[in-house]
Amino acid sequence: MDPECSRLLPALCSVLADPRQPVADDTCLEKLLDWFKTISEAGSSLLLLQENPCLVELLFQVLRPQDLSARVLSFSLRLAGIFAAQEDCFQYLEGELLPGLFGEAGPVGQAAWTAPTVRSGWIQGLRSLAQHPSALHFLADCGALDTVFSLQGDSSLFVASAAGQLLAHILGLSMRGPAEGLPSLQAPDWPACAQKIVGHLEESLRSTAPPQVTQALNVLTTTFGHCHSPWTRVLWERLSPLVACLLEEDPLPAAHSLVDLLLSVARSPVLSSDCGLWETLAQTLRHLSPTQAGPLALGILKLQDCPQALRAQAFGVLLQPLACVLKAADQAPGPPGLLEGITGDSVTVDTLLSSKSACAGLLCRTLAHLELLQPLPQRPSPWPQAPLLGAAVTILQFCNGSAAPASNVGGRLCALLAGCVRVQRAALDFLGTLSQETGPQELVTQVFSVLLEHLRSPDSSATVLKKAFQATLRWLLSSPKTPGCCDLDPHTQLFLRELLPVLQKRLCSPCWEVRDSGLEFLTQVTRHWGGQAGFRHVLLTSEVPELAEQLLRDPESYVRASAVTAMGQLSSQGLHATTASPEHPGGQQKSLLVELLRILSEDSEGFPRRAVMQVFTQWLRDGHADVTEDTERFVARVLQAASRDLDWEVRAQGLELALVFLAQTLGQPGSHCPYAVAPPQATLHSPPAQALQALCRVRLFEFAFRALFDCDRPVAQKSCDLLLFLRARTVPHSGPQEAGGSPDVVSVEAALQRWRAGEQGPPLGDLEPETVLAVLRSMDLEGLRGALAESSDHVEESPQSLLQDVLAAVGVLGENQADCY
Amino acid sequence: MWAEAASWSPLRARTSCWTVGCTWALTTTIPGLGASGSDPWSGDSGHGGGGRRQRRFPDFSYITRNGRLTDFLDCVIISHFHLDHCGALPYFSEMVGYDGPIYMTHPTQAICPILLEDYRKIAVDKKGEANFFTSQMIKDCMKKVVAVRLHQTVQVDDELEIKAYYAGHVLGAAMFQIKVGSESVVYTGDYNMTPDRHLGAAWIDKCRPNLLITESTYATTIRDSKRCRERDFLKKVHETVERGGKVLIPVFALGRAQELCILLETFWERMNLKAPIYFSTGLTEKANHYYKLFITWTNQKIRKTFVQRNMFEFKHIKAFDRAFADNPGPMVVFATPGMLHAGQSLQIFRKWAGNEKNMVIMPGYCVQGTVGHKILSGQRKLEMEGRQVLEVKMQVEYMSFSAHADAKGIMQLVGQAEPESVLLVHGEAKKMEFLKQKIEQEFRVNCYMPANGETVTLPTSPSIPVGISLGLLKREMAQGLLPDTRKPRLLHGTLIVKDSSFRLVSSEQALKELGLAEHQLRFTCRVQLHDSRKEQETATRVYSHLKSILKDHCVQHLPDGSVTVESILVQAAAHSEDPGTKVLLVSWTYQDEELGSYLTALLKKGLPQAPS
Repeated sequence: MDPECSRLLPALCSVLADPRQPVADDTCLEKLLDWFKTISEAGSSLLLLQENPCLVELLFQVLRPQDLSARVLSFSLRLAGIFAAQEDCFQYLEGELLPGLFGEAGPVGQAAWTAPTVRSGWIQGLRSLAQHPSALHFLADCGALDTVFSLQGDSSLFVASAAGQLLAHILGLSMRGPAEGLPSLQAPDWPACAQKIVGHLEESLRSTAPPQVTQALNVLTTTFGHCHSPWTRVLWERLSPLVACLLEEDPLPAAHSLVDLLLSVARSPVLSSDCGLWETLAQTLRHLSPTQAGPLALGILKLQDCPQALRAQAFGVLLQPLACVLKAADQAPGPPGLLEGITGDSVTVDTLLSSKSACAGLLCRTLAHLELLQPLPQRPSPWPQAPLLGAAVTILQFCNGSAAPASNVGGRLCALLAGCVRVQRAALDFLGTLSQETGPQELVTQVFSVLLEHLRSPDSSATVLKKAFQATLRWLLSSPKTPGCCDLDPHTQLFLRELLPVLQKRLCSPCWEVRDSGLEFLTQVTRHWGGQAGFRHVLLTSEVPELAEQLLRDPESYVRASAVTAMGQLSSQGLHATTASPEHPGGQQKSLLVELLRILSEDSEGFPRRAVMQVFTQWLRDGHADVTEDTERFVARVLQAASRDLDWEVRAQGLELALVFLAQTLGQPGSHCPYAVAPPQATLHSPPAQALQALCRVRLFEFAFRALFDCDRPVAQKSCDLLLFLRARTVPHSGPQEAGGSPDVVSVEAALQRWRAGEQGPPLGDLEPETVLAVLRSMDLEGLRGALAESSDHVEESPQSLLQDVLAAVGVLGENQADCY
Repeated sequence: MWAEAASWSPLRARTSCWTVGCTWALTTTIPGLGASGSDPWSGDSGHGGGGRRQRRFPDFSYITRNGRLTDFLDCVIISHFHLDHCGALPYFSEMVGYDGPIYMTHPTQAICPILLEDYRKIAVDKKGEANFFTSQMIKDCMKKVVAVRLHQTVQVDDELEIKAYYAGHVLGAAMFQIKVGSESVVYTGDYNMTPDRHLGAAWIDKCRPNLLITESTYATTIRDSKRCRERDFLKKVHETVERGGKVLIPVFALGRAQELCILLETFWERMNLKAPIYFSTGLTEKANHYYKLFITWTNQKIRKTFVQRNMFEFKHIKAFDRAFADNPGPMVVFATPGMLHAGQSLQIFRKWAGNEKNMVIMPGYCVQGTVGHKILSGQRKLEMEGRQVLEVKMQVEYMSFSAHADAKGIMQLVGQAEPESVLLVHGEAKKMEFLKQKIEQEFRVNCYMPANGETVTLPTSPSIPVGISLGLLKREMAQGLLPDTRKPRLLHGTLIVKDSSFRLVSSEQALKELGLAEHQLRFTCRVQLHDSRKEQETATRVYSHLKSILKDHCVQHLPDGSVTVESILVQAAAHSEDPGTKVLLVSWTYQDEELGSYLTALLKKGLPQAPS
């Protein structure tokens, strides 16, 4: 601990121990605890307490009967726990203090115990100190375990949860060491703490009260999830009959927790070879309702080594609701071997038909589970791609009313799902995931057709349209190429011809979310297919590029930003409207550059300006025709606009662009990362004087020097990196001290001083390369980089500042803290 | 600190409120959920444990450990744009993965992303946070928002509906009524019951919710008139400017900034003052734009004046340029952020702090770890980077302009809504205890004040609407009794529960609708009689006896020897073992239960002696 903090600590402790001096801010106490935790993790807590006796005095204060606030009491309990985590310090505090805090004589049973924060502090304190054998003896002796048992049912969610975690932790700790091997099933061989906890768990599992069963299951879930020692196998052997008994009850108590426990056990490397476990899982799958069984089925399918029959059963559970949908739609369940044997049981049908919310809930969960399963290597094989596609399409058709099922169940499903946005979104997400694999052409055509219906429908909500665009993109990008030809296949081509007018319409939507999703789709599809002749043709014969350009002036800034990105992409790939008049060939292209520059300097919002900077950086990187026409002029104009920007991210992006220009101008042999500052290789050539001249002409140095003292740290950091890179590339090659002390250098350094002080000052004017090099040489850029690496509030956030603030705030901030907003 | 995202699980008929707000980037503890920072159980939710920075957002794994949030929550409701009510929203929807609907009013929808973006930029700028939500996430989150109008009933699904009421607190702030069937909860968010310079007072109709969840920031305070605070503020600004000093007012871009701007603008106009007033950031233009756009959400005075002049078209307040800070002479600058913890406000503060003629006015709370907190707690020598010490000679003032209901206002709202019970949140325990007693005494309702994370269970008596079939009603009417609302009437019928709806129909109709066959249920009883005669003679004696007693009933002696009284059937049989005893088998339907019982009792007494 630094001396200044040591000096302030006694005053802090006396403030905390004084009930007449309320501590103003809860957050301060949390920060103090974090600080003490850091200190004790880094060194000896015992030494800390010996050097700062005020801390022990503070803890003793808690034992004295007085009206200490609940938050200080809670703080002290947690603090004591942090110190007592080290065994020598525990022994130092054990005599009177720890029993007084955590034993029966402590806050348990006193009036303060009614405050949840005290109970929480008590639990957290114990959680911290329970790290060593001495702590276990203490816990067994002081009767704390019984209190922890009762706190499992606490009215506070946080206390109850922490109590369960603490029990799992203590159980794990007590079984460590001598009992680490394979204890017998018989209780007498187990350590006292473990015996007591396991006894309590057994009792809870036998209880007829569901909350108690849930608590026990949760403790076991944590135990089996976190601890994979051999003793857990014995524990499971001992408790599994009780868990099996739960399965015989109807309704199943604590179904969610039971599923969590069984999956936790199945995932444990120590336990997963247990045959009885697989039988229990199979039995549970049969017992659970379709809604409850989904997570278990998914969990089983994610397991690595699981019997095939169980996997098939689990997969059947997941597929059942979709099989019902297919059956209701009067579709054959699919080619043999896919949804074979799964025709939808009556319970699933009943759930689906019971109410709108139950139907939507079950379908959404099922689709989400299958979506998670699809990309996994351990997913069932063969994967029933075609029926799943069919089911997703059918659900979407039920939702938008385009299906006309003949069966009663189908009719009822149609009525329940009509216009159900929740199911539409889930089905579109799932449909998008299925694009990873192809299906029969007939089905793929159906997929495109249902996507088109959704994109076209005036009833589709903005969120549905967004998902429909995303799913469409995924299907488009996964569509097969015609063999032997690099262009799109005829079906895709046909689809695009229908899609573009829809996109056109959506770009004119009154809803900004829809316009934006449309533009995002356009950008993505162009990025991937901009080079495909088929796509180019369809796009250029539509009005989409013109509409996208018009959206550069959209009233909504998000849309303007997306339009900038889309137009940048179109232009990069030569897809920007080519309606230039014959007198001004390329006139339109020019106008886009001008328009983007206008946005950069005039738009009142940051998003479009940031988007412009990204487009410009990409253009410079790619050697876009408009940029290469006069790169220096382009860079100079962009940097000038960026340097004035109020948004630091625009200025930071300006430095990114400067860096690209720098790398292009100076050449960047061998080094991929421009920030990698390494001594230049002997093989490197000295940058030609013209290159440095070019950097001076675009006023890159002034931009970077100003940015170095930017009030926003990321900008300064980026500039520092840029200048370090530049110095590494240039200075060793320059002659010794060419311009040092020259009037130019002095004036630049004076300007730098002014900027450092936060003053503005006039522009630097034209600089000579020698001046710049001399300035670069004289700057302590490494030191600056070190300073910038720390967060901008590191001084205010330091422990010393915290202690000062707590002391200064005593009695001052009482009124202020209520006025948060 | 609180925010909201209400979930209603209609099938279990319970509500649970979860918070989606967060504390500021700097106030990292006691967020709405999970103050402990440790994950419940699984320990793998991705953001548990660790230090304070990892605890910036609430721990949503308390809602569900392994499941998807979307399956557990029907919707998220955001009451207003303050970051302690919406700051974690993009994290919640884009990083934790909530994919359901998010409801807020139109102004909140417009302003929320500005503040979230501001929050993100400061977090990334100050701390170099890498694992923070991005601009794209804010946008994607805002695309999930469904905007609602005041008093519009929004059907979230077929069971859950919500309705927004004006809350006053800031532009677009709303209280929400959340309703399932006949049960409802009102969640106030933050509200203000007295109109201020640009907003009106909160209002709710007599919706009589089962529960009113109200904030209680000023649970015991009766606040002095805001006019006094405004006068004080203007006096201080004026005095400083008059003596040639500069005034710095650190603000967040929206909310209080607009209120103070109107105040200064009017004052400058009235006093014909010339000192420039600047607003430091481009954000304000947009903020003011929204205040203009949502003029209907402001108070009546602003709306009325709007016809002649828009209050938000400021004549005296100009955009600030960094170079202006060095200009000589007096000026007033509104600069962001509001706690002097980064950016322009801090930069200007550093420049001006050394001059005793200058003044900084903090119009809101500052959290520990900010320069704002330090100067408000009286520290005058601040350590800056590189061991530099900044001596604060400028005057430091604190002015509270927060717009919350005081104790009187809270009582007023409870009176307006007439809830069955009240739950206090967003306040200090001691003060809440006082208010709780006051509410219980005055309104005779239960009042709760659970700690963060505590569960409250409320009993309700839901009324379940049941449709009655026309046939059944007609039958009732045929009995000549007209319906009378004051007198409850007993109505017999068959209750059909189907597709979550309840209907009472006649049993015939129920049988027909459900395709069921009717079964008859008969009660039977055996009565033993000492009679050595033959069965037929005993039956005749029974007939004569009943005929003589039950004169008003139809008593018949059937050819097969059995006797009937209405639906009651009596048969005589010989006792299998004792020839001197006869057994009477009596059976009746449930409609004749009374008569059947009476008759059995009668027969048990024996038959009158027959003349021998």
